[in-house]
Amino acid sequence: MKKTDFSRAGITRREALRRAAGTGALVSLSTLAGFGVTSAEAAEEALGKFPKHPKWKFVFVNHVTTNPFFVPTRYGAEDACALLGCTYQWTGSEKSIATDMVNAMNVAISAKADGIAVCLVDLTAFNDPTDKALQAGIPVVSYNADAKGNNRLAYIGQDLFLSGKGLGARVVDLVGEGDVVGFIATPGQLNIQPRLDGAKEAIKESGKSINLTEIATGPTVNEELSAIQAYYAGHKDLKGMFAVDAGSTQGVAQTIAANSLQGKVHAGGFDLLPVTLDAIKKGDLDFTIDQQPYLQGFYTVMVLFMYAISGGLSGPADINTGLKFVTKTSVDPYLGAKNRYEGSSSEEKALTRSGPI
Amino acid sequence: MPESKSEPERNKRPGLLGRIGRSLLHSREASIVIAGLILVIYFQSTASAFLSPGNIANLAAYAATTAIIAAGEVLVVICGEIDLSVGQVYALAPFVMFYAHEAGAPYLLAIVLGLAVGIVVGLVNGIITVLLRIPSFITTLGTLFIINGFTLTISGGFPVQPQANPVIVTIFGGTPFSQIIWAIGVTLLFQFILVKTRWGLHTIATGGNLIGASEVGIKIARIKIGNFILCSVLGGLAGILDAFRISSVDPLAGGTDIMFMAIASSVIGGTLLTGGSGTIIGAFLGAVVLGILKDGFTLSGVSAYTFDMILGGAILLTMLVNVHLSRLRAAGGAK
Repeated sequence: MKKTDFSRAGITRREALRRAAGTGALVSLSTLAGFGVTSAEAAEEALGKFPKHPKWKFVFVNHVTTNPFFVPTRYGAEDACALLGCTYQWTGSEKSIATDMVNAMNVAISAKADGIAVCLVDLTAFNDPTDKALQAGIPVVSYNADAKGNNRLAYIGQDLFLSGKGLGARVVDLVGEGDVVGFIATPGQLNIQPRLDGAKEAIKESGKSINLTEIATGPTVNEELSAIQAYYAGHKDLKGMFAVDAGSTQGVAQTIAANSLQGKVHAGGFDLLPVTLDAIKKGDLDFTIDQQPYLQGFYTVMVLFMYAISGGLSGPADINTGLKFVTKTSVDPYLGAKNRYEGSSSEEKALTRSGPI
Repeated sequence: MPESKSEPERNKRPGLLGRIGRSLLHSREASIVIAGLILVIYFQSTASAFLSPGNIANLAAYAATTAIIAAGEVLVVICGEIDLSVGQVYALAPFVMFYAHEAGAPYLLAIVLGLAVGIVVGLVNGIITVLLRIPSFITTLGTLFIINGFTLTISGGFPVQPQANPVIVTIFGGTPFSQIIWAIGVTLLFQFILVKTRWGLHTIATGGNLIGASEVGIKIARIKIGNFILCSVLGGLAGILDAFRISSVDPLAGGTDIMFMAIASSVIGGTLLTGGSGTIIGAFLGAVVLGILKDGFTLSGVSAYTFDMILGGAILLTMLVNVHLSRLRAAGGAK
């Protein structure tokens, strides 16, 4: 049998193939090993002065995962995770469906997450999963919405009832007397219902004759606008239109603008969607209330990280992310530049300010 | 004669195990089982917690109530109709149960009253579709909105918490184990009804050949209305089970999402949307496959934004495997 060309180099074809296979195997093995080494090192990286720790994974269970309000929350969680060498998963329900959120929490427990953060929008649905997680050694904190009777370790968010009372007091100041409407996306849900309850309480305490009607608008921004416009069309003698969630506030702003009601009808709400901020600048809305959603992601990750790195000795602390009224006189900085902290841009940029505070 | 002597020998050759194996592989559901097994192997290899007892309980939660609703949908789809309102009955029935209990009824009676809502809704759907001759798609679209509005009105939009004694809660969906038992029980019962009783035979006949069936003397109206009732009652049962599972009755529960998942499970499992042919065991397996996909991807850490894209792609891939396996089975099994 004639030998192949390889014989010129001094090796047979079989030998050449064997060498090629061997080299290929070595290369792939080293790549795998390389992967292994790299990921192990990244997982055990020491950041700042913290000791080496595994790349912990925190699961955020949310009730409206695709709602624009939570975009800065996700940025906050992302930034904190990058800072501390952890990762997070953003899951839950798109339309405030409690069974989906409970399922997501249970899967996080099975996946042995290193921490779970959940919006407690229902009074009892999350009690069993929280207890199960704590029993399995997984810390659970709540963010954005809290519920009495749940065994979570801490709550990071706005004090909802008090913020509602703040809203109610502002309504009393602006309107004085007459019919007003309070729009709420999903009645009964614990991230927004307490605000409306607080508003009603504050109005009652003031003793003024203001008649507040509660109207539900829906969990997605599109349907909220339609609901608000439809309500106004049937109630043109309203003195004030107020809302307790981001989407409804935006809808109120758009309705006021569409019907040219500036100055004739008072309006205000919560959160800082871009449409809302523009409306405050134009005068369509009298005020909005900032609950600093970025911090609800950022501080939550810090709490869970501290719990993990200290072996459970430290970490949980209730953090009130604030109740700040934003009005025409204070809205300019928010409109200044699109930024990550309000969710309008994903760019990492340091902002500057000047003048007294 | 030589042939007669060799006949019994030829028939004896496959053996009992071989015959069972061959009949299983030739069954309509074989392809979805294989697709499901491939998914289980994939997820177990990427997330080792997939087959842990805790996660199997999660799988049950994802799949059980969808499977129960799908059983009802299969019956309706086989006789040539569709029921879009079943997701709303899922939300309404637990509310009726809660308010009946508040009015003083013991929980067992309240549950029966909740299921009775399904009977009423099914009757309305059936009568409007059959006697008023409105296409079931439109009928159930209308009742979908009516029931949704009704649920929101009687509840004021607020979720409520059912407080039943632990025995009732455990039996009616409080634990994943009880949910699995209900799902399997409903599936087996209705598969039996479909293939072994006259009702099932008449349902298939109605869907397969409407004119022929009525010529033969089958009471079409009764079959269709009856199947609408069965579908709505199963929807109500699923709603009550989930209400006890999360101990919360929510007006936003269910809706078009779970209805769509139930219909998708039926189709994935082998029921034809055109009617005349279907399998409830297939729908159960379809619900399990959808549950495996959702649970597996959440377990692997996929976040909400990319989740839907990946889920959609996975459903298409799974159906690709399913359809091609069916083709292979059909081609290879022709004897």
